[in-house]
Amino acid sequence: MSNPIKRIMVYVDGTEQSVTAAQYAICLASFSGAELIAYYVINTRAVEDLLKARIFLKDEQVEYEHDMEADAERYLNYINELAVKKGVSVIKKRSRGSVHREIVDSIEADDVDLLVIGELSRIRSRRDEFFDETERAMRAVSCSVLIVKDEDRVWEMYESLV
Amino acid sequence: MALIDLVVEKIVKIPLESQDKPDILRELVRILKDAGEIDDFDAVLQGVQDREDKQSTGLEQGIAVPHCKSAAVSSLKLAIGIAPQGIDFDSMDGQPTNLFFLLIASPGLSGPHVEALAEIAKLSRSKAVCKALVHAESAQEVVELLKGS
Repeated sequence: MSNPIKRIMVYVDGTEQSVTAAQYAICLASFSGAELIAYYVINTRAVEDLLKARIFLKDEQVEYEHDMEADAERYLNYINELAVKKGVSVIKKRSRGSVHREIVDSIEADDVDLLVIGELSRIRSRRDEFFDETERAMRAVSCSVLIVKDEDRVWEMYESLV
Repeated sequence: MALIDLVVEKIVKIPLESQDKPDILRELVRILKDAGEIDDFDAVLQGVQDREDKQSTGLEQGIAVPHCKSAAVSSLKLAIGIAPQGIDFDSMDGQPTNLFFLLIASPGLSGPHVEALAEIAKLSRSKAVCKALVHAESAQEVVELLKGS
């Protein structure tokens, strides 16, 4: 049987949980030989909603989108550095729009076998108003999803990778 | 960290004691200071006031969402204040404001900040939830209302 996982995508959003997910994905790519994509979505949909709701001013919209572009560059470069240290190649990818929608579309377009994401909130509010974009993506994507937990254990695994 | 993870009793105050906008902002930032969420009270307050000076974050139907980015915090910070009597907060509809959601984010976390603000915006559109929050009698009740438990 050939390797069932040929392409892994890790979703990175700047949170500590997503960095831990990236470390796990790097280990997984190293062990399996799968191709690794690090993906960041600049959430322009939420920014537009905030402008419509008048919570944001026009100059805030511009400023936050600029900041998120810079965050994307910084976090994707950081993940690349983590991977290079362990001899793993990473394809850096980013897009703009609605986070869960962009992840779903990218999984399809890139023919991804496995989506790796950080730990989700342990609190599950019954209120629809509190939604998590990563959780929505997890439910909507067509491929298998791996949720990474236990930051300390993952760090040890990453550090022990030669 | 999801917005819902930030909703704990120590960052909720009912009722707010202040009677005007400058004091409300100060009282909201004080909630974070007293909860041990921030160290530099003055820097955070200045950031919030600077944003309010550009345009009030008082929306419609009694809700305000003061917010700013501040290097004085390293992660997302939320404070919730409720003024059942209503405060003049220069709101869009000219009506008194009852519900205040203060959100402070570090400059390197624009994505999570935007998503948290979007969740608050969505929550503010639910008249039933807002009405229940205004009539809540304790921080515990607010936490239970928001977490849906």
